[in-house]
Amino acid sequence: MLQKPRSRGRPNSQAERERDWGRGAAEEAPSTSRGAGSSQEARSASSQGSRRAEASPEVGPRSQQQLELKVAELVQFLLIKDQKKIPIKRTDILKHVIGDYKDIFPDLLKLAAERLEYVFGYKLVELEPKSNTYILINTLEPVEEDAEVRGDQGTPTTGLLMIVLGLIFMKGNTIKETEVWDFLRRLGVYPTKKHLVFGDPKKLITEEFVRQRYLEYRRIPHTDPVDYELQWGPRTNLETSKMKVLKFVAKVHNQDPKDWPAQYCEALADEEARARPETSGPAPSS
Amino acid sequence: MEEGRAERRRRTEAPSHTQGGPRRAGVMTDVHRRFLQLLMTHGVLEEWDVRRLQKHCYRVHDRTAAVEELEDFINNINSVLESLYIEIKKGATEDDGRPVYALVNLATTSVSKMASDFAENELDLFRKALELIIDSETGFASSTNILNLVDQLKGKKMRKKEAEQVLQKFVQNKWLIEKEGEFTLHSRAILEMEQYIRETYPDAVKICNICHSLLIQGQSCETCGIRMHLPCVAKYFQSNSEPRCPHCNDYWPHEIPVFDPEKEREAATSRATKRSLRSRQH
Repeated sequence: MLQKPRSRGRPNSQAERERDWGRGAAEEAPSTSRGAGSSQEARSASSQGSRRAEASPEVGPRSQQQLELKVAELVQFLLIKDQKKIPIKRTDILKHVIGDYKDIFPDLLKLAAERLEYVFGYKLVELEPKSNTYILINTLEPVEEDAEVRGDQGTPTTGLLMIVLGLIFMKGNTIKETEVWDFLRRLGVYPTKKHLVFGDPKKLITEEFVRQRYLEYRRIPHTDPVDYELQWGPRTNLETSKMKVLKFVAKVHNQDPKDWPAQYCEALADEEARARPETSGPAPSS
Repeated sequence: MEEGRAERRRRTEAPSHTQGGPRRAGVMTDVHRRFLQLLMTHGVLEEWDVRRLQKHCYRVHDRTAAVEELEDFINNINSVLESLYIEIKKGATEDDGRPVYALVNLATTSVSKMASDFAENELDLFRKALELIIDSETGFASSTNILNLVDQLKGKKMRKKEAEQVLQKFVQNKWLIEKEGEFTLHSRAILEMEQYIRETYPDAVKICNICHSLLIQGQSCETCGIRMHLPCVAKYFQSNSEPRCPHCNDYWPHEIPVFDPEKEREAATSRATKRSLRSRQH
């Protein structure tokens, strides 16, 4: 009566689940009019002779279409993973998408990064050098009216995160958790009380934003009762800047950024450092 | 400024792997990119919402330009998306024919939007519901029948109570629609999964005789069995006093639905005001 989707064996259950769902009867042959072309890389000859029952059913050089499909899968994967705002690990990419194409992983990633930037305006960036985790940075500036046309909450560019980022910067790039709550209390945001908009503010700040790498949350040793310090995380430095945050703080106070000379100087220095040509490109070094 | 960046991007583009032939793909500008980014935040979007989104993107990046006709605008983007095996697909709601759009994956690969949001047993519950829906005569599967299959699910054991909540999650995420305790596919699921459904259930799947797309809900001829979507029926038999089956010519035994475009527009604008009020809250 109803055909069950064919599932190819893979040693790992999550991949199997994803395959089982998505594969169906059609494997690597989407309904496009383009036929399989000849392989473009000499390197793919290394896959010749490797007989594995898994991803590519054919042995031998990979076709243009197969490569294109792999890049497409990778782009999809990166987009979906980034939606959760959790940094994407290289090991996950290799496990869930690349598989047999491991030998050309750097090229696939580079091609995927190019497409992501050209088509969607997202830049693939390594979170920290040698971390082997990636995030997508939006090359388009978010605009207030975006909120009216989106289908989700969007990244909190204004809102609680910005306030905390502002606090941290204005206080010299590090702040005690107790100080954060002293401030937020004045805005009606409490660590122990459920908030209409933010839900659980404590969880949001000390867990969610940390997991997304916007903040770093570290215990201060020898404190009693225990206190923690909050600093900017690596994603914040990539997505925004000291100057942008200072401008936000100034706007909230209805003042000019120059009214805080120390912070303004620091923000300027940061801008200059950013303007200098990048020493390492966005593509990963194999 | 903005043009310069778009220009630069065009120049650095041309990844050689996409050149399958002499066919020329369209050009992406920041208008298109912002459109795509924001479209992706919706699982499925109604046409008037899509037009609003398009206008917004022009306003942000290119106030002086004339807003391109939506169909051309989308075709342009689709020509670029082709090499990524995704497209902005247009469909219609099965109950009243409202045009809807979704960004869908053309190649049924292992990376699926649903797979990332749900656990193994939840996906299997959806698959079970899907099978019941496709097999059914009405296009609806009752909650009871779906929940009775809970013991057969792959993965972690799920209780009926939990399964009820998972079904609600599917409704919230626009994969299923619930009507009086019965479930059918949301237009989002139909758009995203049409190819998968046709390939996986080739014998059970129903197709509309008029538009030849996947059919879940519709009317059928009692004599020869052909089926039509309600909006397709409405259009085909428009102002026809003696509707007859296009295949066997027997009298069409069902009431011909009438869709009033004016009422649709009113309903649409009232939905718009409600939504913009809600989004302003944060």
